[in-house]
Amino acid sequence: MATITSAAPYLSLLVDSNPQLKTYALESLNTVADELWAEIANYITEIEELYEDHSFARRQLAALLASKVYYNLGDYEAAVKYALLAGSELDLSKKSEYVETIVSQCIEQYIHLSQTRFSEKSVLIEPQLASIFEQMVSKCVVDGDPRLALGISLEGYRLDLVDKILRDAKGKSDDETRSLVGYVLSAITTTSDIALKTKCLSQLAEILLSLANPDYFLLTKIVVQLNDSKLVYRVFKGLLALPSNASIAYQIAFDLVGAASQQLLAQVTASIEDTDTSSQANNMLLRILSGVPTCDLDLTFLSDNNAADSQIMTATRKSLDGRNSLFHSAVSFTNAFMHAGTTDDSFFRSNLEWLGRSSTWSKFSATAAFGVIHRGNLSQGRNILEPYLPGSTSSPYTNGGALYGLGLIYAGQGKEVLDYLRKQVVDNSDNADNKDADVVLHGGCLGTGLAAMGLADPQVYEELKAVLYADSAISGESAAFAMGLVMLGSGNAEALHDMFTYAQETQHETIVRGLVVGIALICCGKENAAEPIINKLLQHQDANLRYGGCFALALAYCGTSNKTAIRRLLHVGVSDSSDNVRRVAVMALGFVLLLDYQNVPTVVELLSQSHNAHVRYGAAMALGISCAGRALQSAIDVLDPLSKDSVDFVREGATIAKSMILIQQTEKTYPNIKEFREQLASTVSNKHEESLARFGAALAQGILDAGGRNVTIQLENHQTNTLNTKAIVGLVMFVQFWYWFPLAHFLSLSFTPTAIIGVTDHLKVPKLKINCHCPPDVFGYPPKVESQVKQQTEKVTTAVLSTTARAKARAALKAKNKKDDDDDDDDDKMDVDEKKEDTDEKNVEGKKEEKKGDEEDRAKKPSLSNEELQSPTLLSLYVQKPYQLDNMTRVVPAQLKYITFSKDERFTPVRKFRGISGIVVLNDSKPSQKFEKIKTVRERTNTDAPVPEPFTIDPATDKGLFEIPEDDQ
Amino acid sequence: MTQEKAVQAPKKVDTTLPEEDNETVDILDTFKEFISLIEKSAEDFDARYILKVFRELTTVRKEISSDTLVSLIEYVYPETGNSKTSSTKGYLFQTLSVDPSSEMDTRDDVEGNGEKVESKRSDPIAEVDIFIHLLVQIYLHDQKQYKKLHAFNMRCIDALKSYDRRTMDYIQAKVWYYIFRSCELVRDLIPIRAELMRALRTATLRHDTETRASTISLLLRDYLLTNDINQAYNLVEKTEFPQDASNSVVARYYFYLARIQAIQLDYSSANECVIAAIRKCPQTKSALGFLQTVTKLHILIQLLTGEVPDLTTFRDPHLESSLTPYLAVTRAVRLGDLKIFNAALEKYGGHLKRDENYNLVLRLRQNVIKTGIRIISLAYKRISLKDICIKLHLDSEISSEYIVAKAIKDGVIDASINHKAGYMQSKELLDVYSTRAPQSEFDRRIKFCMSLHDDSVKAMRYPMNMNRVEDKVDPEAREREQELIQYLQDADGF
Repeated sequence: MATITSAAPYLSLLVDSNPQLKTYALESLNTVADELWAEIANYITEIEELYEDHSFARRQLAALLASKVYYNLGDYEAAVKYALLAGSELDLSKKSEYVETIVSQCIEQYIHLSQTRFSEKSVLIEPQLASIFEQMVSKCVVDGDPRLALGISLEGYRLDLVDKILRDAKGKSDDETRSLVGYVLSAITTTSDIALKTKCLSQLAEILLSLANPDYFLLTKIVVQLNDSKLVYRVFKGLLALPSNASIAYQIAFDLVGAASQQLLAQVTASIEDTDTSSQANNMLLRILSGVPTCDLDLTFLSDNNAADSQIMTATRKSLDGRNSLFHSAVSFTNAFMHAGTTDDSFFRSNLEWLGRSSTWSKFSATAAFGVIHRGNLSQGRNILEPYLPGSTSSPYTNGGALYGLGLIYAGQGKEVLDYLRKQVVDNSDNADNKDADVVLHGGCLGTGLAAMGLADPQVYEELKAVLYADSAISGESAAFAMGLVMLGSGNAEALHDMFTYAQETQHETIVRGLVVGIALICCGKENAAEPIINKLLQHQDANLRYGGCFALALAYCGTSNKTAIRRLLHVGVSDSSDNVRRVAVMALGFVLLLDYQNVPTVVELLSQSHNAHVRYGAAMALGISCAGRALQSAIDVLDPLSKDSVDFVREGATIAKSMILIQQTEKTYPNIKEFREQLASTVSNKHEESLARFGAALAQGILDAGGRNVTIQLENHQTNTLNTKAIVGLVMFVQFWYWFPLAHFLSLSFTPTAIIGVTDHLKVPKLKINCHCPPDVFGYPPKVESQVKQQTEKVTTAVLSTTARAKARAALKAKNKKDDDDDDDDDKMDVDEKKEDTDEKNVEGKKEEKKGDEEDRAKKPSLSNEELQSPTLLSLYVQKPYQLDNMTRVVPAQLKYITFSKDERFTPVRKFRGISGIVVLNDSKPSQKFEKIKTVRERTNTDAPVPEPFTIDPATDKGLFEIPEDDQ
Repeated sequence: MTQEKAVQAPKKVDTTLPEEDNETVDILDTFKEFISLIEKSAEDFDARYILKVFRELTTVRKEISSDTLVSLIEYVYPETGNSKTSSTKGYLFQTLSVDPSSEMDTRDDVEGNGEKVESKRSDPIAEVDIFIHLLVQIYLHDQKQYKKLHAFNMRCIDALKSYDRRTMDYIQAKVWYYIFRSCELVRDLIPIRAELMRALRTATLRHDTETRASTISLLLRDYLLTNDINQAYNLVEKTEFPQDASNSVVARYYFYLARIQAIQLDYSSANECVIAAIRKCPQTKSALGFLQTVTKLHILIQLLTGEVPDLTTFRDPHLESSLTPYLAVTRAVRLGDLKIFNAALEKYGGHLKRDENYNLVLRLRQNVIKTGIRIISLAYKRISLKDICIKLHLDSEISSEYIVAKAIKDGVIDASINHKAGYMQSKELLDVYSTRAPQSEFDRRIKFCMSLHDDSVKAMRYPMNMNRVEDKVDPEAREREQELIQYLQDADGF
């Protein structure tokens, strides 16, 4: 056929009266539409009219032609409209760009409509559009690409389709279904529509439960997000039906204790108690769910492995004048952080004179520090604080601090002390106008809030409300915080309304701030469900309410990287009239981008150069929050200029943020850590430095070596891939120290012990060896001595100024001796390592096979830490020959990917995949045999154990692991 | 003739092998460098390197020989490649009329200088594959082997269809240019339209600005060459030309647009377009032909709108000789003298027809008369129609009345006709500064400057980390900058 250059002849036929001619014209035009569309487009109205003409037989052909013309004109919406009207004339199976475009546009339109329909039922969707969408989804499934189909269905909010695909897959193979459910689970967590998420998750849980052999670990991830106690109960019931699955149930129970809210745990415990408490497995489960074993194990680990450097503490105390209340508090915090959870309160005992110098609120903080140090010591906590509690001493500040400390010990596990704390609150709530009672009440409210965190108990809430309504600036503020803590993440509408109303009424700024932060805590994780209150707060004329609005936005969208939330925060951060609001808006970015932390440095880089010091401070904290424990080099690059800022509080923020990022780093993993430590020491001791900067540096020292160098700040639960709510709450409250120093203690909630603690199904801790495939010095404890040598040499340099040369010589000699001692220490250490390696070599051959298996595992599982991406030194760390770690020793997050469990050992973990940490339930292949075990703190206090003979791992510490012969318990 | 050339090329190499050898190797190295640049571009998703290749290609394109191409193809398409690679290689050799087996020896000679040890290359990436196609096209085009080039088109189109990568856009746009050029040279303009339309559609769907711009302007050229002005107008009306395409394509598009609008009697928009075309035109020697053509059109459009072009336009040393006919026509229009006009037409008619401007010039006859009337209206406050008739050499008094009436209606002159007394009365000249005209003109110019400023700001590249620049000044970036400055100083465009 000769190519025609004009469509004019056919076009003129369109207006002819003979329908046959019209049909002929349409047919001919249809074939040349792609080349001559520009000309045909002039007659588009005629073609449309032809379609409207119901008497015309081939009107659908007219629609098809119109669609093609619109497609060429680039008006895809109209093209889709007419394509749908073309009905049978449009052949969707034809492979052409036109059809592809129409289909993709259809899907796009459908997804958009369907999403709006999810919230507004009034939206109508044309059946043709829906049918094209469904056709495409089923085509994907038929073509063997169910993941694509699932993704599109999810995006189109078509849970019925998701359900159908998964159920169809179930008919074929269980394994496939499991992997598909895992896929949907990871996809659904990115959506911000909370209603859809809940619906989808419950659907997934149903499907998993209906499988013959469900993946219970996957299920745990779902139930934690759903917060549904009935479902958890069903999971446990299903597991305990088979005795062999009991250890899996225990592992899940441990995971739940770490990840789920206190409310969920309480409900599950109640429902298990209701049904059956006779069986041994149920009792064991109840015990684990009570949280006592978790705390006990963590505490044992932290106290046995405490590697805090008392020299740093001593130096800091000496250089910070205790008469200054700011510095006194700083030392309290540093000490508390450094020994958090280690039960080592020797610093207080050896510095009684310093302790006595504290007055009023610094006394409050110092007493509360006991709580931080004994955090999780559920068995002894009350006894330890007894001398300071109300009734024992007269000072209200000590009393209040002790109540706050009690809350810190039992944070989130408050069953044992909650009644006592509530009694304190109720007893004092009537006389809030009495100054002493007010201070006690302040501690009592904070303590109650901590102990009842996430319990959503209306009674506790009402009691706190009574304190709030007394309208005292001191106790009212703490009651407001506590209300938020109790209702944490509940989204309780009544509470939100009460608090918002009162925030507008009260005259006290402190109470307003307490209330809005409380509101933010209630909104935690609620995403778009929290929009109404967020909008109300953000648009309020009072800057204090907008301040809370930023936190509410941050917590509601915490870890979601939601683009709208980020945009709003950035807008507030650069445009608000109040410095405080701008500061927290920028800081809030850190919470929203928690999981996407690599991008935070680029987002805040420009803000970190703002002329406004508050914005710079916010940028620093945003980095500290989001990159906590990640040692991200680009974050440090942004923080470095800020730590030399001209404004004191920016320097304070930058050093604190830096220490949060570099927590637990060694010189091998982050070469500049030594410099940073030295810089902190010199800032603290520099008398000419501004006090806020010195305060920040002291805190940073505490954070860097927190928990005896055995904890990190981890905002994500790796076991369940959920956010670590407790840690996030800790950070939110910690940053309130800007207004109220005692709140800094809240940071202890964010500390997670970094250890692998293997337990048997009888909750005993057996001795076992864990392989670590990297050089032993990479993740070891940083050397303690360094800081001290430095100090000595510093003294020498200052001594030069003194007149007597003899004093100089003496000092130099002293330093030399000291150094020699240290060298000896090092040598000892080396010996131990070498011995270890020797034993390793023997093991190597036997383990070759196992290693192969591990390598396969590694290929399957993506690495947990992104450290290797940024630091080339870490890439080559893998060594074929592992060194061995004991049970219950420090394993930092970056180290996890080098850890393997030997398959030939007697004890193997229940959970099979890599990167496990925390409490690991072990399968015992020879249950009848005895084994060596490590005693926990609780066991030690309960029984009269024979005097242990010390087993030293690290001679530098006098506290080590204790080797205790097997007893019959 | 093409046959002859094809045979000649290898022969020439044979006779002068010793000297040529080095040169071939040099050029070969240059091309290998180009290829690695293109690969880098594809890897980084950054079209800058490809643009760099095109800049440098301009200087070396004269030196492409079939020998170089053969070695390059051998280099790019490995022996061990998949079936697609080998088939591509096959037809590329066929196109260059080389027998692959016999050429093996030559290649061995060339690679004998230690290049054999070079690591084996895997199958070429899309960008490189298309780039080789482009080189072959350029070679055939420069060797004037148009028939072969035309025959090669289908291969190119197929190759283009098989890829979908955004980094390929720039190369793809150029390939389309040569595909169309070959069709134009063998006068086979109709069938290619469908292919171009298809390419335009695909490019639009893929947001491929370069190819879109290129195909639109090629389609317009096609329509203009076949005098399908209506179709061209339809296309212009219904497509949106991507403004961020490269300058040379935009200039070409504006030129075609101006032509279409001039033919459609829309002189004022045609004038705007032709000015835009001149402004966007690359200011280098290689674009001189284009500049001449555009200037010719500009002169005609100016004359058609009733303006008289500036005399300096004709004095430009690069344009002077080619503009002689237009100078003559302009003189006639300026004087409003039909006699001179007719003489000019007679003298330069052939020249104007070659420029395809003859039809437009014929339209000027009316303008000559209009200009005459204008001059008269400016010179006389009142003049009888009879006098006009005599001055303008018109046939009758009535026709002069009609013409004057038309001129008044078109706004050429500001006057009125007294029909009874048979004279034309000119109105007093207004002070143009009391009207809005200067203001709007000023506004237009400011807008132009502002948009120029905005475009330049947008085109600037900023280093990613301003605050850390002092730490490590990127030597590569500095080198690039130097290169760019040098390039801007001496040459432009493709």
